[in-house]
Amino acid sequence: MKYQKLLNKLKDILSEERQAQLEKYSSLKKVLKSLRAEKKKMEKEMAGDIDDDTRQEITSKLKVISKQRKKGLQVLQELKDERDGKHK
Amino acid sequence: MLRRTFLPAIFVLLAYGFAVSVEFKTITAGVAIFLFGMLSLEEGFKTFTAGTLEKILRASTDKLWKSMTFGVLSTTVMQSSSLVSVITISFLSAGLLELASGIGIIFGANLGTTTGAWLVAGFGLKVKLSSYAMPMLVFGIILVFQKAKTLRGAGYVLAGVGFLFLGIHYMKEGFDAFGQGIDLAEYSMTGYPGVLVFAGLGIVATVIMQSSHATLVLILAALAAQQISYENALALAIGSNVGTTVTAILGALSASANGKRLALAHLIFNFVTGAIAIAGIFQLMEVVSWISSHLGIGPQNYTLQLAVFHTLFNFLGIIVMLPLLGPLVKFLEKVVVADEIEIERPMYLSGASGDIRDAAIEATRKETIRLYDLAAGIITDGLSIRRDVLESDEKTKRIVKKSTDIIDEDIDELYEKKLKALYGAIVEYVITSRGGYAKGRMREELNTIRQAGQHVIEAVKGVKHLRKNLIKVMRSDNQFVKKEYDRLRRQIIQVLRDIEEARHSQGLSRSVLPLDQVKLEIEEKTREFSHGLDKLIRKEYIDVQIATSLMNDISYCREICWDLVEAGSVLFSAYDLEDEAALRSVALGEDDIIEIMEDSNTGAAQ
Repeated sequence: MKYQKLLNKLKDILSEERQAQLEKYSSLKKVLKSLRAEKKKMEKEMAGDIDDDTRQEITSKLKVISKQRKKGLQVLQELKDERDGKHK
Repeated sequence: MLRRTFLPAIFVLLAYGFAVSVEFKTITAGVAIFLFGMLSLEEGFKTFTAGTLEKILRASTDKLWKSMTFGVLSTTVMQSSSLVSVITISFLSAGLLELASGIGIIFGANLGTTTGAWLVAGFGLKVKLSSYAMPMLVFGIILVFQKAKTLRGAGYVLAGVGFLFLGIHYMKEGFDAFGQGIDLAEYSMTGYPGVLVFAGLGIVATVIMQSSHATLVLILAALAAQQISYENALALAIGSNVGTTVTAILGALSASANGKRLALAHLIFNFVTGAIAIAGIFQLMEVVSWISSHLGIGPQNYTLQLAVFHTLFNFLGIIVMLPLLGPLVKFLEKVVVADEIEIERPMYLSGASGDIRDAAIEATRKETIRLYDLAAGIITDGLSIRRDVLESDEKTKRIVKKSTDIIDEDIDELYEKKLKALYGAIVEYVITSRGGYAKGRMREELNTIRQAGQHVIEAVKGVKHLRKNLIKVMRSDNQFVKKEYDRLRRQIIQVLRDIEEARHSQGLSRSVLPLDQVKLEIEEKTREFSHGLDKLIRKEYIDVQIATSLMNDISYCREICWDLVEAGSVLFSAYDLEDEAALRSVALGEDDIIEIMEDSNTGAAQ
């Protein structure tokens, strides 16, 4: 297992495709992190004293962000599987 | 006041002219037919825009020497510099040519037309084009009635040339009386006064006869009959060279700003050339006799010497004017200001190297953003809402409510000239030109931007459809329908404003993600519109026919909004390429949005 991990690491360094994949992986992680921060901010706003229109607006935004995060996590998992050599 | 009285005054003057002179009637009819020919020619060439003709023209006029050669050859073949210049004007008007290339053709045509002098002087040949007018018209009109676009275009071109010839024929007929009255022998003079008088006569004769060839024949006949001196004949040739520009000026009356600029360039070129020739006529005569002696032309063979002179001074004109081409173009653009829609040309693609990944992507993106901005203007026009709405802080609802006047813009023409041409250039850059060698991620990125451009085009096409009913509704009294269409207008404007907001924000908010929120709103609004429509039908506030139109337009509105958001998502992302790919993989598609809505409905039902 240890060797396999080391081998993957070496592949990451050498392969251009893997490098691109890695870049995408880290970018996606960055995006997901920002989305989570945004989501937390909105949830905090929801907990505060706001009017109905704003509540409705934030609810709608939260739905979108949750969906985006769900989709992003799915892609992240796929990238991870690909990197680890797992196939569906 | 002046504007209102101008047209009736012209009509009265013309009617008076028709009543008192038959020749006047013939001449003005000739001018009218000629102008109609120009319109028909332009219509025909428009069919070939972005097609084979444009490619051939571009390839044969992309360099100055090429456009000049094109001018020389085409004039030699057609034996009419006037015809070449009016066709070039219509090329320019249809956006098939650049002004500088057009001027190159005119320079070449001036040299090409001198071959006529050689033919007439050497062989007594004269190609009579006017006899082709009738068959051209018949074949042309038959083709105009064909369904195939290319055939129809060719028909318009053929009929256009036919009408041009017919118009020139009538003008000649009308001027015949004046022409017969010109007896050159009466004015035989020597020295500079003689040169000036005969140059003036040459101008008048060519204007009247609408052909520098005809004047040339007249000059040669008079010279052979020793009615005029050799010196006077040369002055006449100079004058005819200036007079021939009248046809181009006439042709430019119905042309675009570029067409008018070209006609002015033609006049300036021939005028300058004429002025040089007049100033140095005696020196030129010596050069002509020197060249003639080397060419084996006898000292008494004045007709061929005239041909040498004709070629020489036109050649001299080209040498003098060539270095001034750049300033001339600038001057013309300053003097003749465009008041009509000009063909949109790419600003960023031409200078970008396709070999450098970031430069190619950036150029394509910038050009597509230009396309988007132009489209946004056309869309607001199409919805009859003033263009500055996107920068205003006023509420969309209020703006739409206030916008009750129809903005009378030709959306179809704007679409054709502004968007289609520019998008064509983008596609060409991405697919066929240097960008075509792009591989891998660069290729992928270029294609994504191109697709964004396609969304922009589709959005405008949708507005074109929507506008048809919108104008009818804006003119009608049915307040219920008006209100519904106002909601559609509001929706599209809101989406444009949302995109604008995302475009000018920073960080994550300036990316594809906030536009997903807009997508959800589009779907929610569309559902609202449909429910509203059902209600209106149930309550019989609108009839079924209007309901069907509204139903279609709700669908158009949805598609327009989606296209705009899809384009905005690609064009206004501030992240770098790697992040953009990640962002796009998170961005929501139509299915995701519908899923969110369904989840919400289920939640609400529970």
